[in-house]
Amino acid sequence: MKKKENIVPERAKHLLAAVREMVQPCIQCGTCTGSCPNAFAMTHTPRALWHMVIEGQDAEVLSSKTFILCSSCYSCTLRCPRGLPLTNAMSLLTQAARDENQPWFVKSQAFYTAFLDSVRRRKRVNETEFMSLFFWKMKNPILSLQFASLGLKLMKKRKISLPVFFPGQETGLEKIFEKTRQVEAGQMEKKA
Amino acid sequence: MKPDPMDNEHSNALVVGAGISGIRTALDLAQQGYRVTLIDSNPATGGLLNQLDYQFPTNHCGMCRLLPLVHRDQSSQHCLRKGIFHENIDLHLSCELQDLSGEPGNFTARIKEKPTWVDPDRCVGCGLCEQVCPEEIPDCFNEGLSRRKAIHLPVPHAIPNAYVVDLAFCSRCGACEAVCPTDAIQLSDVNRKAFSILVVDDELSIRDSLKEWLEEEGFSVDMADSGKAALSALEEKEYRLMLTDIKMPEMDGVELLAKAKELQSELNVVMMTAYATVETAIETMKTGARDYLIKPFDPETLIPMVVRIFQDVEASKDRVLSVDTVIFACGTTFYNPADNKNVYGYGIYPNVLTHIEFERMLSPAGPSPEGLLRRDNNKPVKKIAWIQCVGSRDIQNGADYCSGICCMIAVKEAMLARQMSGGQIEPVIFYMDMRAWGKPFQSYLDEAAESDQIRFVRCKVHSLSEDSETRDLVLRYMDRPGHAVFENFDMVVLSTGMRPGPDMARLAEITGVGLNPWGFFDHLPFEPARTGQDGIFVSGSTTELRDISESMITASAAAANASGIIRKQDAGQKMPALPVLPEKDTSREPVRILPVICTCNGRLEAAVTKKDIEQVFDFDPDLDDPVFIDRLCMAQGWQEMKDHLADSACNRMLIAACHPYVFTPGIRRLRDDPGVDPAMVHAVDTMTPLFSTKPEKAEEKTLHLSRIAAGLRQGAAFLKHAEPASRTETAMCQRVLVIGGGIAGMTAALAIAGQGFEVDLVEKEEQFGGNLNWLSSTLEGHDVKALLEDTLSRLGKAPALSLYPGARLVNVTGTAGHFRTVLEDDQQKGVSLTHGAVIIATGGRESDTCAFLHGENDRVITQKALEGKLSEEGADIPGTVVMILCVDSRVPSANYCSQVCCPTAIKQAREIKRRSPDTEIFIFYRDMMTCGFSETYFTHARNEGIIFIPYSLDKLPEVKAIEDGIQVCGNDPILDQSLEISADLLILATGITPELPEDLAEMLGIVRDKNGFFNEADPKWRPLDSLTEGIFACGIVQAPRSVEKSIGTAQAAAQRAMSIISQPRYRMDRTTASVRHAICSRCEACIPVCPYNARTLNTEEDRIQVNALACQGCGACAAACPNGAAILEGFSSRQMLDGIDAVFYPLPN
Repeated sequence: MKKKENIVPERAKHLLAAVREMVQPCIQCGTCTGSCPNAFAMTHTPRALWHMVIEGQDAEVLSSKTFILCSSCYSCTLRCPRGLPLTNAMSLLTQAARDENQPWFVKSQAFYTAFLDSVRRRKRVNETEFMSLFFWKMKNPILSLQFASLGLKLMKKRKISLPVFFPGQETGLEKIFEKTRQVEAGQMEKKA
Repeated sequence: MKPDPMDNEHSNALVVGAGISGIRTALDLAQQGYRVTLIDSNPATGGLLNQLDYQFPTNHCGMCRLLPLVHRDQSSQHCLRKGIFHENIDLHLSCELQDLSGEPGNFTARIKEKPTWVDPDRCVGCGLCEQVCPEEIPDCFNEGLSRRKAIHLPVPHAIPNAYVVDLAFCSRCGACEAVCPTDAIQLSDVNRKAFSILVVDDELSIRDSLKEWLEEEGFSVDMADSGKAALSALEEKEYRLMLTDIKMPEMDGVELLAKAKELQSELNVVMMTAYATVETAIETMKTGARDYLIKPFDPETLIPMVVRIFQDVEASKDRVLSVDTVIFACGTTFYNPADNKNVYGYGIYPNVLTHIEFERMLSPAGPSPEGLLRRDNNKPVKKIAWIQCVGSRDIQNGADYCSGICCMIAVKEAMLARQMSGGQIEPVIFYMDMRAWGKPFQSYLDEAAESDQIRFVRCKVHSLSEDSETRDLVLRYMDRPGHAVFENFDMVVLSTGMRPGPDMARLAEITGVGLNPWGFFDHLPFEPARTGQDGIFVSGSTTELRDISESMITASAAAANASGIIRKQDAGQKMPALPVLPEKDTSREPVRILPVICTCNGRLEAAVTKKDIEQVFDFDPDLDDPVFIDRLCMAQGWQEMKDHLADSACNRMLIAACHPYVFTPGIRRLRDDPGVDPAMVHAVDTMTPLFSTKPEKAEEKTLHLSRIAAGLRQGAAFLKHAEPASRTETAMCQRVLVIGGGIAGMTAALAIAGQGFEVDLVEKEEQFGGNLNWLSSTLEGHDVKALLEDTLSRLGKAPALSLYPGARLVNVTGTAGHFRTVLEDDQQKGVSLTHGAVIIATGGRESDTCAFLHGENDRVITQKALEGKLSEEGADIPGTVVMILCVDSRVPSANYCSQVCCPTAIKQAREIKRRSPDTEIFIFYRDMMTCGFSETYFTHARNEGIIFIPYSLDKLPEVKAIEDGIQVCGNDPILDQSLEISADLLILATGITPELPEDLAEMLGIVRDKNGFFNEADPKWRPLDSLTEGIFACGIVQAPRSVEKSIGTAQAAAQRAMSIISQPRYRMDRTTASVRHAICSRCEACIPVCPYNARTLNTEEDRIQVNALACQGCGACAAACPNGAAILEGFSSRQMLDGIDAVFYPLPN
């Protein structure tokens, strides 16, 4: 089979293998695609994506804008006649893409971690801190300008508090984050 | 007049289930001369097929083709949907098998008859009760799409058709009881009073309300407020039922149950429980409780349960029967799409139907005789969608199997809907794989797509919704490239899959036959009709989902196995002889007819006077004065008639009553008592028009009188020229020739030889075994090599079997009952054989191909070659393997599916994966034909990492040789991408080519279909018979199939042959053609018109001969003969012309 050269890191490979095993019984009936509310915006529809996973087109799978659009509505999982855990498979692919540092994925990944970092420190998101962390992570000064107009609007509505640059107190949320890490690791181990 | 079957408490075989499979098995055994008891839990025969009016691929019904073709006089000869009659079959409806014990040859079966509250012997089906019944409920015959009364006909067209009462819905108002003219209805209030119930609860309010509810229903109720009080009540009086609470102070319900059972072991106990203690209640069912109720409950829950127990315990009769063998034909049910998630809104949207409901919509007797109308607004349907695989191939719903028949049912329904609407309906079928796996299915499918313009969309519809304004059904689905499509339909039909029959688990438990992982009866490997329990066999869909033809095959295979057991039992005794005929032949005596007229409880006199009728006969000196008898259909009336006949000097009898079918069995029995030739008795229908109308006016009465008079005169005309039953008997050659020594031929030969009949087995090769010589195992992992060894060793030991290896047929002459065959054996010496029947088992071989570089490149091999390669343990397994399925199959030149290649590919791919897990395997397929349980292995294969890529005929994979390999280029339709695979090995699935040489077919006088297969008499109902009586086929020469299924066909063909040759002599059936040689001009016009090849020209004697065995009495020859030399007995021209005259004869003034 004509395969793109796979330059996928070890952990991502593991995750992909886990996903492949999850979706192997797929018969390409298309129920998942039919039920997916976001399929119209995806590079590959879910049915095509699973077929590519089975065929081992790993790099193409990871670089596609598909699983990131999954809104975890579970319609596909509910209706798949084969009973496949498709929503879980989507989230594993997201993890794999994160591990692989896909170029287009870096931004959303930074946004996502910045959001959670802020939550972890303050129990709720602090917009100023959140965006600051995001700009810091992206190391792109021009990026902040892109958000300027939104920032002004929010400021008018007094939605932006003063910057807080000292470390957050013990919020107690650490346990939840730790648990999530364990679950994700366990899920991978079980499937891999 | 009803036979009293329980006089004879021994039956050779018990067949459980009177659907088509049960009927086939029962008829096969009955035809062989054995006594069969056939039971069904329903009040009608025919099972599921009663509701299906049309069958693919013929698009009509052909159930009557099940009827016996030899010894026809012993059986009914009318539409099988109306019911079945055979002299050797005792039919018991509304009966369930309760218990089975014993061993082969000596089973004891306990059968429970469920009450229908209407005595079927008394009910004349007049319908007065239905008119007065106030309770209207959904009609289950029409799948709830129409309404019926609580008292109803279970099947509207059955004859005789007795009403039944659905007691769950009956209000016991008594209106029907009062109106019934024959006192057939008994709602048995008296019995209810005797059914005493004890209610035990510590709460007064519950006790009181239960007492009130139950007494209102007519039961007698006592109460007890504690366990102790209950026990003392039980000591004093005998109770039938105890309803007890579980949680009570001092003594709880569980303890009370144990103690009560000690006192009255037969007591039925129902536990009442709060939700929290449901598990305790379930536990108690193991210790003797009959059922449980969860509190709080209302009368709608309680009453039906109590009534059911009352019905089961009190009103039903137990029968004990001793039988040699038991055959289960308990069938399947359909998946209910409202169970589980109900994504298609079944039961919510009125225009969503299941395919069985749609089938009823198509039926003229169904809920929509005006045509296909929408269920919401009665407007004509324009656009219908079929959604396939609802509850099939659905692991989420516990069905990792394909139901096998739904694809073709959907195609058939779409075709019929379009044809019935005059092409106005636009049908669309949404499918995953179109499983056209049977021999004629692919061409049927092609025809549907072309001429009926059915649109096929390959995708699964994920769900549907209803447009709130138009109430159209909106389907959302993705087309193959992945675009969302919304499409509106008037109606959606769900192709619901099959589930095991409702009673299967219980019957499996009673008999000790295990269930397979899919919930059906388990059968032994390579023995489709045999279970692990000796003497217990399975027929039809009991073990797996089957279409009609497959059901017919297993049904006959089950009969073959069962008759083996019976034969062994009866080894010392002779086969049942032919029925004895009355000694006296009265046909040459002067005609004297005794007219017997049923007055039907005064109904006749209400329309016409006896005097009027007497006048009808006045003109005719051949007729005696008529005898009027009230209710001839009942035993008393029948006896009265027999007494009259004995007293009179008449030699013929004319019966005028209602349905002549009702009297047919009774007339046959007159042969034994008082010894009257049934040919000299004729029944005419004068009463049925009077069931629905009551003539009041004078002109109405005259009209009825003229109808009755016409019927009577016609009957008299037939009787005057009646010919007696034939007494000519011919000897039957009780020997069978089997052509072909593959697994089918060997199995058929062994099955026949095993019953003591002589068999000649001819094989063209020196070695027996055919294709089994290169197969090693099956998809399920059963050892084919061991099967071959075992069969060969049995072949060597069978006493009545003569083997002719390396021989070929030179000539075949003769007809059913006495064929003569000349063979040339391996030394080129002529051998002459005589035999009564022929079984063709010439088999087939793997098709050859020159596609995809086969024959040019060593890396391209067929499945057979791979099988050989894999049979060597330690064979070299390459790194990448590609398989291409449907090579030169399902294309115009060979337009049939070979059925075995998809499962073989999966078997071989999994074997390769087992030996070399790193090997990459790619399978190119068109539609995966893993029907039935092989779907599970398809799932396994996918789980094991085998990659399946669909292709279509317009985008065939391309293959070219490259350095150290083969390159396969294809298109992946899911991704719409081209694929290039460098493979080390390419395997082609080329399918099966039948081997039925033209000269052999010509010699035997049978027809080959356009693909070279044996052409059967009927693809559904007579799959193994040829149109020439006495010639049968089995194995892959008839149609492609697996080893196990071939064995099934072999046993079935053996049974079909044995049905003919079992009895040493054969007597001509009554309606058989004959030739008046004196006026025959030997024009031979009758020979080609005979559809059964029964007529031949005997050149030595220069006369036309009719083979009485083959002739089915259709009358084609009589119509073709230019000078009346071809006669059909019972339909002579004098009878026909006089009969016509009689209708136009004027009434006496």
